[in-house]
Amino acid sequence: MNRMLIKMGIAAAVSSLLISNATFSQVVTPAKRAAHVEIKQGPTLESATDDLVIVRWTSNNPGGSDDHYGVVHYGTDPKQLNQTAKSHVRLNQEHPETIFRVRLDGLSPRTTYYYTVDSMEGNGKSDEVKSPVNRFTTPDTGQRVENYPPPSTQPK
Amino acid sequence: MKQERTLVALCATCAVLVISMICTTHSVHGQSVLTPPPYNPYPPGILPPDLPSEIERVRREVNFIEKQALTEWEKLPPLNVQGNPPTLQGDGYRTVVVLGKILNYDQNMSPFKDTACAFCHLPYAGFSGPIPSVNLTMIAYPGTYHYRANKRTAMRYTYSPNFPVLEFNNEQGLFFGGNFWDARATGYKIQSPDSEQAQHPPVDTGEMGFPDTACIALRLQTAQYRPLFEAVWGDSLNINFPSDAEAICDTPGGAATLGTSATPIDLTPTERAKANNIYDHWGQSISKFEGSPRVSAFSSKFDAFLAGNYTMTANEMAGYQLFNGKGNCNSCHIDGRSTLCVDQKYGCASNSSSLTDTGTTAQVNPIFSCFGYANEGLPLNPRVAYFYENKPDSFGFIPNPYGFGYRDLGLGTFLRSGFGAAPNPNASWITQAPSVDGQMQVATARDAALAPPQCPTTEAPGPYFQKEFFHNGYIKSLKQLVHFYNTRDVYRFPGVTSGHCPAGTTERVNCWPESEVPDNIDMTTGNLGLTDTEENQIVAFLQTLSDGYTTPYPDINTFTGQCMAGGTAATQGNSSLIPTPPLPPCASAICDVPPIPSPYPIP
Repeated sequence: MNRMLIKMGIAAAVSSLLISNATFSQVVTPAKRAAHVEIKQGPTLESATDDLVIVRWTSNNPGGSDDHYGVVHYGTDPKQLNQTAKSHVRLNQEHPETIFRVRLDGLSPRTTYYYTVDSMEGNGKSDEVKSPVNRFTTPDTGQRVENYPPPSTQPK
Repeated sequence: MKQERTLVALCATCAVLVISMICTTHSVHGQSVLTPPPYNPYPPGILPPDLPSEIERVRREVNFIEKQALTEWEKLPPLNVQGNPPTLQGDGYRTVVVLGKILNYDQNMSPFKDTACAFCHLPYAGFSGPIPSVNLTMIAYPGTYHYRANKRTAMRYTYSPNFPVLEFNNEQGLFFGGNFWDARATGYKIQSPDSEQAQHPPVDTGEMGFPDTACIALRLQTAQYRPLFEAVWGDSLNINFPSDAEAICDTPGGAATLGTSATPIDLTPTERAKANNIYDHWGQSISKFEGSPRVSAFSSKFDAFLAGNYTMTANEMAGYQLFNGKGNCNSCHIDGRSTLCVDQKYGCASNSSSLTDTGTTAQVNPIFSCFGYANEGLPLNPRVAYFYENKPDSFGFIPNPYGFGYRDLGLGTFLRSGFGAAPNPNASWITQAPSVDGQMQVATARDAALAPPQCPTTEAPGPYFQKEFFHNGYIKSLKQLVHFYNTRDVYRFPGVTSGHCPAGTTERVNCWPESEVPDNIDMTTGNLGLTDTEENQIVAFLQTLSDGYTTPYPDINTFTGQCMAGGTAATQGNSSLIPTPPLPPCASAICDVPPIPSPYPIP
């Protein structure tokens, strides 16, 4: 009996030794939420093909959960922005600003779309960004638009 | 039930006899081992021509290290158990590490006694894949039954024990922790994802391939180092195995003769519990080895830099600032230090030299991972051997019945307990699946650049050691890796698959084929505005993360293969690109499993 207890004790002690090295890893503590999230630049069309565009804007770092989403509400009628696209970005807690980039897929060529933008935390809580209604027009089939970075600065 | 088991055992025995009549033999550890004819459903050119000789090379290297580990064990002082709870006083750490190392390099832990865990993870590759030609072509490594292979690259062991148990953080809305690209080693049971990671390959049909976890205990019964295992864990290996256990364990998992049971060896509940304990302790021993300085060494130039004992070159420092600043790499590959980004034009400085790092050391041992998951939008890689494994092998097993209808949804498929993953042990996570389709683990950036001393870089023109990067090995150099993050959305070619970039473009340079999984693509990167020089500087910084600077990296000098040379890092491996065949729709067994991907199905 004692021998069995010793064996169980050895197993328990070795187990605790083994799992101890993983316990220091923690979810990074979220940054404090910004009091007010304001767009600093954009939103604008980063690039576009006939059925997919990327909308880009920069705001002050909203803080909160590191996993964040850029959100675009859009539609062909500026009074009915009834479609939503969202794309994941991960905040960098040490950056004063955050670039949001959102993919809008399944669009029609040569069509004007109206949109507003927002961002939200990983749990869906809005950053309550105020954005005017903007618009873009998708190019013709087979065409593409590249606005960023300027072609002269693109790496070869 | 008993009759079924008897039938299974009889079938297994018969299968071994039949196969033995058509098999060849070769010598392993002085034993004769039967090997069936190779499984080769591949079109010409998928398997690298030097595969047989390279497999033999790696097996020799594994054996060499195993013998060294056994010698180290023989020199250990007698175990000194003291205290209550009983503790291996003095040499407890070292003893468990040595045991883990011996287990990791033991080729007997596979049906044909030809494949150790280490076959896919050797020190000179940062404990990732050790065969340059495999890294260039078929991506996944052949398992015990040649040439079955799985679908993903072998993740580096380094720092994997630092990943915590997989959890979903409701407040942040993210998955965090786990091991494997798809998180299927959660750590839910023994509270160590890395230990549970070690438990998967021995019973993975495409890897070491045992049909039953109890085969580990069976093989340990006759292992030279059995006394060490029993002494460390207090386990008894005196398990009463049935007479057909050897025949079952000599048969690769998935064999039709074994049926569908995950436990074809007929053990009493008491004996099964003993075998399960041994399996847990087997995984924990290996994890202790992987967490030790012999694998996770914290001995890089960067670690010396944090300690004030290394001054980065101008390029390395510029790369470090870009890593934290304009490149935004440390948003996920967290470096433990804070940074400041001063130019507001595009959120970060357009002139990297103006970046000022005003941070202070927040963590002395950063892992360079956020332990999270992301879909980086990599193209489907038609080189992955798995796509061609849609025909039965000589055991009647079909590794991938869906052929090119397979799509790798990573974490999403695991949450659905889907094809090619593992059972999800937490039903409350299933609803999250559509939001994580395509996501793979954010690997540590440490040791991505680690290479053998005689070819000390991963980058052409070298002499270099050919590695593979990301889960599907599509990227062949760190230059390409950084360039992908930098330009994925600049040189995006919708509707174009790998091998079909338009004339006038160069794949991986100014043409990125469409993503295999277009849902949930991470947009933190993809258009960073880095110059060519800045990309190279980030590569220079990544090279400071290779262990072995402050102290020699253990067993680094064991590479006996050939270095590669010539070409450029930007186009490295492009001569091995092949055209993707016309892709059928995603198989319903993968993409039509609830909850269905949203807002629209994956093509």
